[in-house]
Amino acid sequence: MAVPGLRLVFNAFGSLAERPMRTLLTMLGIIIGVAAVYTMLAIGEGTQKKILESLDGTQARSITVFPNWTRGRSSQKRPYRRLNEADLLEVRALPGVEAATGNLSREYPVITDATDWSSDIRGTDQDYLFANDFELEAGRDITETDLARKETFAVLGQTVVKNVFGGQYPVGAKIKISNVPFTVIGTVAKAPETGWSNGRDRDNFVLVPRSTLRDRLVGGDYLVRNHVNQYRIIGENQKVLDRIEEDLDAILRRSRGLSAADAPDFRVLNFSANRQQYAETQRTLSLLLATMGIVSLVVGGVGVMNIMLVSVTERTREIGLRMSLGARRSDILSQFLTEALLICILSGLIGLGVGYGVSTLGLGGDDIEMIFAPEIAILAFGSAVLVGVVFGYLPAHSASRLNPVEALRHE
Amino acid sequence: MGKQVVQGAARAGAQARLARASAMTPTKTLPMIQTVDLSKSYSLGGSTVHALDGVTLAVAAGEFVAVIGSSGSGKSTLMNMLGGLDQPDSGSVIIDGKNVGSLKPRDLAAYRGETLGFVFQQFQLMPRRNALANVMLPLQYRRPGVPDGEARAQAALDAVGLGDRGHHKPTELSGGQQQRVAIARALVGSPSLLLADEPTGALDSRTSAEIMDLLVTLNRNDGLTIVLITHDLEVADYASRVITMSDGKIISDEPRSVEAA
Repeated sequence: MAVPGLRLVFNAFGSLAERPMRTLLTMLGIIIGVAAVYTMLAIGEGTQKKILESLDGTQARSITVFPNWTRGRSSQKRPYRRLNEADLLEVRALPGVEAATGNLSREYPVITDATDWSSDIRGTDQDYLFANDFELEAGRDITETDLARKETFAVLGQTVVKNVFGGQYPVGAKIKISNVPFTVIGTVAKAPETGWSNGRDRDNFVLVPRSTLRDRLVGGDYLVRNHVNQYRIIGENQKVLDRIEEDLDAILRRSRGLSAADAPDFRVLNFSANRQQYAETQRTLSLLLATMGIVSLVVGGVGVMNIMLVSVTERTREIGLRMSLGARRSDILSQFLTEALLICILSGLIGLGVGYGVSTLGLGGDDIEMIFAPEIAILAFGSAVLVGVVFGYLPAHSASRLNPVEALRHE
Repeated sequence: MGKQVVQGAARAGAQARLARASAMTPTKTLPMIQTVDLSKSYSLGGSTVHALDGVTLAVAAGEFVAVIGSSGSGKSTLMNMLGGLDQPDSGSVIIDGKNVGSLKPRDLAAYRGETLGFVFQQFQLMPRRNALANVMLPLQYRRPGVPDGEARAQAALDAVGLGDRGHHKPTELSGGQQQRVAIARALVGSPSLLLADEPTGALDSRTSAEIMDLLVTLNRNDGLTIVLITHDLEVADYASRVITMSDGKIISDEPRSVEAA
């Protein structure tokens, strides 16, 4: 059977080559369809990779706590209340907590003899770098002792190193933040790319002990009440997150005089909930893209069916002749089915090339990442073949059922 | 003569009929074609047309039969029945021992491909294939396949005198040459029966004579059974037997062997 199979393909190729323009136009529909499916799937895959990357590091096992802004503004009865240092220490001691950091930040100028530069001054602690996936580049980090002694030590982000020190080694240098002199004790390596930074400069910051920031720079109520703007808590793994959330809810309610029935005046973002939302979004996106691709393939398939029906009509006499020469119905069926399949297979291959070409031309821009995995190519190509079989069958079947006498007489 | 013998015979007992029919045919032993009470009618705009009305016919192997009649006489319908291209309303067609009416579609296709060779008025060649490829076409449908197809096709072209034109496209050949290619295509499968439907209808008289001479040669030298349909009495003169049809019936059936020689 190998030789008749080859001859089928050869004959089909010959009859398609007889009408090159028509064949090309028919193929165009499928080429666009396959390129669309292939590109869509590749974009879907790229997006998924981005989401998975953003889940790297501590992000995937993080809980963030904020005071609730909205309630404070709209209701006189319960004014806006900040978080505080004492509750953070209690949360850090909870079982399953690997790190718990607080953040209190203000914009101040960083001043040296040569220049000044406005930066985000963050009052932090020894857990901050780890909880935010930062790494120390040089010198040392802020310690618990630094907080206790309210040391005037500063750890610089890369943007500050570049703009204040011109890239020179800054550890040991003296700077002023506002009017307060600080000593640079370390620098932080460039922030990792997460894919979702949206052009924000994530390296323009100076880390100082939180106690020092309150005492020497912010002052006022912050100093009196030991305020912290937000907590970021990292669990030992994802499974403990829900339990940590319950425990910290209890701690905050007790500290803030709320019963279990009261609406909380703080907000907790548990990343495990976010993660499900991400997965959901991803599924919807994939489904949407796949649907668009399939619609374009179906449109292409209808084009193939249309042209095959025309071809069968045009070649009615040839079909009658072949039948009189001994062609079985199955021979006629496979003759036309092979033509439809050949159109779709050739278009499929070209479509894959076009889809791949689009990605290398960078038409999607930097924001859209495409991954052309072999599975995706096989899936896109397979759908083209399926279109060939499905839409080629009806014309091929009607050809195989022609009455030979009438077919031979057909003009 | 064969007509009387089989008239009134039951549908069953085809073998017995075959035996008797062959006994009654003096020249050759086995009847190639045996039709019994063949009828076919079409409804055309409300009225019924009897294309075939009880046609009973026996043709021995090696005969050259011309069927003549005006258009609408039923000769084309008879040809289609013999070719297994059309099914009768009643009656049976037995060709080379096969009851054509009872064959399944796939066996019917094999019957057309292996037992028959068709020659048409309009040649019906594939315009974009050369003569050799056209002649090879029927072999494509043989199961099992024919490994020496090209050699056979070349032999068939040699037999019709076009051995050196194998690589010419139909448009590069004259009408008579095209019909020769079509005859070679009909011969390539070594058929038992050649069915020719107005084979000279599209040719001038000189070319017609050449084609008819070729058919006579094939009949004489190779013993090929030929049934030819024509409305041209001159063409019919080449046959050894002439059957005249009118209104779906056979109205005369005469041997002509002596003159043609």
